[in-house]
Amino acid sequence: MTDATRLAELRQKFGRVPEGPSDPKPGTVSPREAQPRFRGLESGHRACQGCGEALAARLVMECAGPDVIVANATGCLEVFTTAWPQSAWRVPWVHSLFENAAAVASGIEAAMKARGKNTKVLAFGGDGATYDIGFQSLSGMLERYHNVLYVCYDNEAYMNTGIQRSSSTPHAATTTTSPAGKERMGKRHLKKDLVSIIAAHHIPYAASASVAFPQDLQRKVRYAMGIEGPTFLVIHSPCPLGWKHDSRLTIDVARKAVECGLFPMVELERGSLSNVMPIRQVRPVTDYLELQGRFRHLFADDPRAEEERAHLQALADYNITTYGLTGGDPDNADTVGTAAVGRGGHPAGRLRP
Amino acid sequence: MTILTRSAYGEPGTSLDFKTGNWRSTEKPVHIHAKAPCHGACPAGEDQQAWFALLQEGRVEAAWRALVAANPLPGVTGRVCPHPCETACNRKALDGALAIHNVERWLGDEAVANGWAYPVEEPPADAPVVAIIGAGPAGVSAAYHALRHGMRARIFEAASEAGGLLRSAIPPTRLPRAALNAELDRVLSLPGIEVTCRARLGRDVSVEALAADHAAVLLAPGCQEGRDWDVGGSVPADHHEGLALLKEFMDHGQFPAAQRVIVHGGGNTAMDLCRLMKRFGVGEVTLVTASGLPGPDTATDDLINVVPRELEEALEEGIEIIPHATVNRLIMRGSKVVGAEVASLKKVPGTDGRKKRVTFEGTERVRDVDMVIPCIGEMVDPEGLHSWINRGYLRPSDHWGTLSDRIYALGDARGDRGTVAEAIGDGARAVAAVAARLNGGEATTDTRAELPASDLNPVYYPPAARSVAPKLPVSERTFEAEIEGDIGHEAALAEAARCLSCGNCLACDNCWTFCPDSAVIKTAELATDGSFYLFDLDYCKGCGLCAQECPTGYIQMRPE
Repeated sequence: MTDATRLAELRQKFGRVPEGPSDPKPGTVSPREAQPRFRGLESGHRACQGCGEALAARLVMECAGPDVIVANATGCLEVFTTAWPQSAWRVPWVHSLFENAAAVASGIEAAMKARGKNTKVLAFGGDGATYDIGFQSLSGMLERYHNVLYVCYDNEAYMNTGIQRSSSTPHAATTTTSPAGKERMGKRHLKKDLVSIIAAHHIPYAASASVAFPQDLQRKVRYAMGIEGPTFLVIHSPCPLGWKHDSRLTIDVARKAVECGLFPMVELERGSLSNVMPIRQVRPVTDYLELQGRFRHLFADDPRAEEERAHLQALADYNITTYGLTGGDPDNADTVGTAAVGRGGHPAGRLRP
Repeated sequence: MTILTRSAYGEPGTSLDFKTGNWRSTEKPVHIHAKAPCHGACPAGEDQQAWFALLQEGRVEAAWRALVAANPLPGVTGRVCPHPCETACNRKALDGALAIHNVERWLGDEAVANGWAYPVEEPPADAPVVAIIGAGPAGVSAAYHALRHGMRARIFEAASEAGGLLRSAIPPTRLPRAALNAELDRVLSLPGIEVTCRARLGRDVSVEALAADHAAVLLAPGCQEGRDWDVGGSVPADHHEGLALLKEFMDHGQFPAAQRVIVHGGGNTAMDLCRLMKRFGVGEVTLVTASGLPGPDTATDDLINVVPRELEEALEEGIEIIPHATVNRLIMRGSKVVGAEVASLKKVPGTDGRKKRVTFEGTERVRDVDMVIPCIGEMVDPEGLHSWINRGYLRPSDHWGTLSDRIYALGDARGDRGTVAEAIGDGARAVAAVAARLNGGEATTDTRAELPASDLNPVYYPPAARSVAPKLPVSERTFEAEIEGDIGHEAALAEAARCLSCGNCLACDNCWTFCPDSAVIKTAELATDGSFYLFDLDYCKGCGLCAQECPTGYIQMRPE
């Protein structure tokens, strides 16, 4: 079968002839072409409805591109953006294996350096590829001090293969390999504190961000892009399918994770805490948990459920105390100030460096 | 067009060939410009959200122009309106409704101070002419809207000055005469409006004669005639009716001698009278009203019909209010009142399903008083209107005010109105109906649904307290000085910034920023639906994120 026949067949099955906003008339620019932002990750990718990771990757690409090369680990992001023969990426992009995104990125960075080019190298991985499988190569990349921004899209389980627990899955969440039932209330172990481990490499910049606060997320990406050396960003990216919440609630869930203290928004430079996003009004963890099916068992009439809810609340309180997430006056950069909108945009946008 | 590469990798951006739009199962996002609740509640038909949006951009004069598209007298309504807009404001549930009336008044005063021109042109000399009876708020509004529709207006006013009840029944402490005159003069001197004062209906002009040589006759005579009042058949010798007493005081500055007074009624006239008498030196002033005071359990139709801040100020000034009560019996010595029997009363559902007022036996109490003043409303002076009057009022058949083919009834004279804002709205509506009829069509109303607070996403609005306008302390209140002060430029703009923009696009970029599928396209020009965003339904998967995160409820998910 020739390529052309095969392509025609695929078109028939999956797609239609392009038309509409993405199809410029001769001599004109389509509205999509005229977007006032860099479209590093385009439409037509196969992410699920309301995918937090697709959103996070697009937000990162907007302010990282266009002069970048992306090394992508195996995972949802790799799969849903590059269904052959198509690619949603508009930058050079390479996928090798689950465990070696950081190693591939290191190699590209070294090659670029050898050729005297300034192109920034990005490495993308999910929490499985970062917290677990690719952890060794990531540690090596940081230690060798490669000029790479590593972004971990943290959706807290192996979603691509069917929602298996990872070391990032929060305590008490149910997954297919940590099911809630008679024996246990979901995952027995705790979520790995990866940012601290990464920061312990004494790298210039490691931070956590959330899709619910895109202004803050993009500020962190820009800051990291400006640093010569290894930098690390973990982005909390809800997965409607794996977390079992309505697809429209992705942002709501992500915001509540930050506001209850379970996902602290911190920045560490050279291993020390340099900045946090203060929580103006701390909410109870149940506000966050009750939206998600993966925590539904915690609301059963069961003394163990009550204990686990108390445990998660204690973990959130621990984060708040450890990082000092409350206690300030209203601030333009706290959880309320960052989200504020006004006519014609986000006033918080003015805070961008 | 995707071209397969030799090593079989995808070319950049080729996923655009794959239209994920067919993943949507049931619903797609749409832009819906719902009615803001303030707009829905405004009897004058103002779109407060629209002019607050212009204020947010710092365009003060444009905001005033948007305001006067509906209401030519913002300086007046900003002072006297019971502002149902603020009661409806969705921000009420967050941190207090917007101080809409203060900003409206400030805009009106700014226009007077800066001499901003009303956005109307003089109609051609041969344009249709409408005749208007009465230069009160309804008549003035009708004349102004006639110009907006390209018609001329001829007003006939029985009094020696225009203003109607704004001049005769509202004390200067609420509406200083300088503010009233400034705004009235500006409207009535617009080219195309002609005012004839001292032209009394039935004596100098007649409806039939006017109807013969005008495009339409708009009747806005107001209510001048006191209702008959007696309690159990007794009428005291020195009986005074509320509105007459108020008018007399405004003209001569005197009240009849009394130390203990009961005012019976529940409207702004009753409230004004109570406060003026108290300030005049009457020792005890008690308001007996069948309605209830504002409270969590008070039904809307049971609430006392006065401007909320007036009620608050009256209580500050020591007016006693007995809610849910009536004057049952007058205690007379000869033909003089020496006491009144007050009894509790409430509206309860009757056997026919309609609510009726029931006086409760065993709740009677006697008050020693020198005077009982009824303020139970007035009726239309029938002079010259005999063929139109129906049980005291004009009672038109629809909300346009239609009485007959070319005759319309506006304002208080309709019998179902009670505020200046309603009168102003009536003027606009009647003229719209006339204009539509002249053009061979029918006038249309805004039937859009109102945006409920539950459709907003409040997390995007940072808290901001309501601005407070200065107010004269009780000890400094006189018969002339205005009690509520000016909110001022800074606070007015701060208040505008608090507007949630219910149901209308803020251009905040949330949908554009949050769409995981880049299916929201930002445009430089205003799209046809009034926003700066397009939905690229070729790629929209229908997740509903944009609708959920839209702060103003402008994006909603609707079945395909």
